[in-house]
Amino acid sequence: MDNSNGTAFLELKNVNKTFNLSYGEVTALEHVSLTINKRELVALVGPSGSGKTTLLNIIGSLDRPSKGEVILEGTRIDTLSEEELVHFRREKFSFIFQDAKPLRMLNVLENTLLPFNFFKPKNRNGNIRNEGIEIIKSLGLGHRLYHMPSQLSGGEIQRVAIARALITHPAMILADEPTANLDRDNRLFVIETFRKLSKEKDIAIVLSTHDLEIANRADRIVHLKDGVFLKDEAIACPPCKV
Amino acid sequence: MELIVLAIKDIFRRKGKSLYLLVAIVIPVAILSTILLTFDNADSSLSNLASKFGFTLIVQPKNVRVDRINQIGVNTEEYIPEGVVREIEKRVREIILNPKDRIITVVRFYKDEKVLAGKYEVSSVVAGVDFKSELEAKPSWTLTDGRWPTSDREAVLGGTYASSRKISLNDTVTINGSEFKVAGILQNYNSSEDYMVFAPFAEVQKLFDKTGFVSVINIQNVSLDKDKKLLQAAVEDINRNIPNITALSPQQFSTMKYTLLKKTLKFLLAIVVATVAVSIFSIFNIMTSVLYSRVKEIGLLKSVGASRSQLLTIFLSEYLTIGLIGGMIGYPLGLFMTYLLDSFLLKLGTGVRVNLLYVLVALLVGVFCSFAASSYPIYRLSRIKITESFRTQWEG
Ligand SMILES: Nc1ncnc2c1ncn2[C@@H]1O[C@H](COP(=O)(O)OP(=O)(O)O)[C@@H](O)[C@H]1O
Ligand SMILES: [Mg+2]
Repeated sequence: MDNSNGTAFLELKNVNKTFNLSYGEVTALEHVSLTINKRELVALVGPSGSGKTTLLNIIGSLDRPSKGEVILEGTRIDTLSEEELVHFRREKFSFIFQDAKPLRMLNVLENTLLPFNFFKPKNRNGNIRNEGIEIIKSLGLGHRLYHMPSQLSGGEIQRVAIARALITHPAMILADEPTANLDRDNRLFVIETFRKLSKEKDIAIVLSTHDLEIANRADRIVHLKDGVFLKDEAIACPPCKV
Repeated sequence: MELIVLAIKDIFRRKGKSLYLLVAIVIPVAILSTILLTFDNADSSLSNLASKFGFTLIVQPKNVRVDRINQIGVNTEEYIPEGVVREIEKRVREIILNPKDRIITVVRFYKDEKVLAGKYEVSSVVAGVDFKSELEAKPSWTLTDGRWPTSDREAVLGGTYASSRKISLNDTVTINGSEFKVAGILQNYNSSEDYMVFAPFAEVQKLFDKTGFVSVINIQNVSLDKDKKLLQAAVEDINRNIPNITALSPQQFSTMKYTLLKKTLKFLLAIVVATVAVSIFSIFNIMTSVLYSRVKEIGLLKSVGASRSQLLTIFLSEYLTIGLIGGMIGYPLGLFMTYLLDSFLLKLGTGVRVNLLYVLVALLVGVFCSFAASSYPIYRLSRIKITESFRTQWEG
């Protein structure tokens, strides 16, 4: 495994995940070990049902492994209580879901600042609102600050989700199929934005996709099939391969 | 932004559903307020009446049934032999401590009769009264017009009676074939007397062939007035020893008059309970569907760092706000309904008054309906895991 381009941020050790259903067990992940470094952009690739979402959930501590360990910056987190995890997630992770529309009753800026309805930003100097405006502008939505989500296109909605993910200064962003419903221009915009952010802001980003054009712009592709690793492929010069 | 602001913004975004919820809350609150306010009006109308009475003790025939008291609250069907009057006075005198205290006795004779008043015959309550003793007992009895009768063929009309039939002084009213000249018109007291025709006692008895009978005996005595226990003793003594009559304190008398109304109101109260139950049930259904359509939203809020208690705060304050607004709309609606009920049906004549306690009750009931219906779905949803919320095909 290629760990050379950064320090280990998060580590999965021999993770298994099974779901108990009325008709039996479903194994979603089997013997998955994975290290994600700081500043790294990782793409999870695999067909539908291969375990991408499950893996992202476990990485982001939204779900617990059935077996194995999740270690974040040296601390085991899969054993923390739900309450501890809430604080942990607030500080470390941001999530972008394929299906999560922004809140319909809030405008773009309010949606961006949404996390701070629930906790105070730490170690910030400067005005949070201004920072929100800056982030939105940097994503090309400067003219949409006070628009409501119903007035936005799909690509713009995904940018609001990215802005909201950035406002908390996360160490890691987890994005489940962030490009699934977008046209090509917007898909490329999203992945390029992720590239830039991971390098400029030191954010580890893991996204899932079944779009190889997108995956090939990551630093690394993790191929999954039926919950098992097929291969873990580093891309030497990511954009060159396109 | 505060969590509450988030909640309130959401209410306005969901105008349609919020409105629907609001209606489901407003209806029981309004009905409940109506009933409480009407109860209240009945009560104060009752105590008005009692204080207006000016009498210490009322004696009427034993078998006067509440539902046969006519609509303005007097018995015009059953009578007591006049001889009982002396006996009652004797017993009262024995019970009061100071035998020199004055006892004023006022007897009345009531009859329902068609009276030719103005152009038409109208069914009226004719009261045979001894004006002298009445005035002695109630010096505040006042005429707005004319004078008290000085002859057997003169009458006094209740204020509303005269004005509604456009009868003025010196007109005649014909009772059972005998003409009476209208000598005076009474001031309105907001009581049954406003609707009566008063004529000399013995004349009326004779007119209806009931000489020697009275409808009601009213006793006035200062020491009984002052001492409720003594009054109660007199009431009990009379009831025990004189057959076929019922003695009552004015309070008891008025209460009797309103028993029927109160029974009706209690029945209505049962309806309210049923309405509240139905309303809670329908709110529960709306809530459940609304909330389940919000599963993804809950997942999103949790994923950006909302704790369970914060989610509960948002959702509860959202539905509690709707409950409060429901109470705030339901109460004035109840006031209005009370007004309608009183003007067209009950005619308690006390007017509609705002009662702060009931405002509070209305708000609480609104909040209660909303809370009872929403707390369970809210509780369940707040427990949904983020991963579940995005996996499940909840739609809304
Ligand atoms: N909460 C769950 N309950 C039951 N089965 C689940 C659950 N989550 C995922 N699975 C199963 O685990 C496997 C992997 O699912 P998922 O991680 O969603 O795949 P992907 O995101 O790659 O499409 C699938 O077979 C899916 O049905
Ligand atoms: Mg998936």
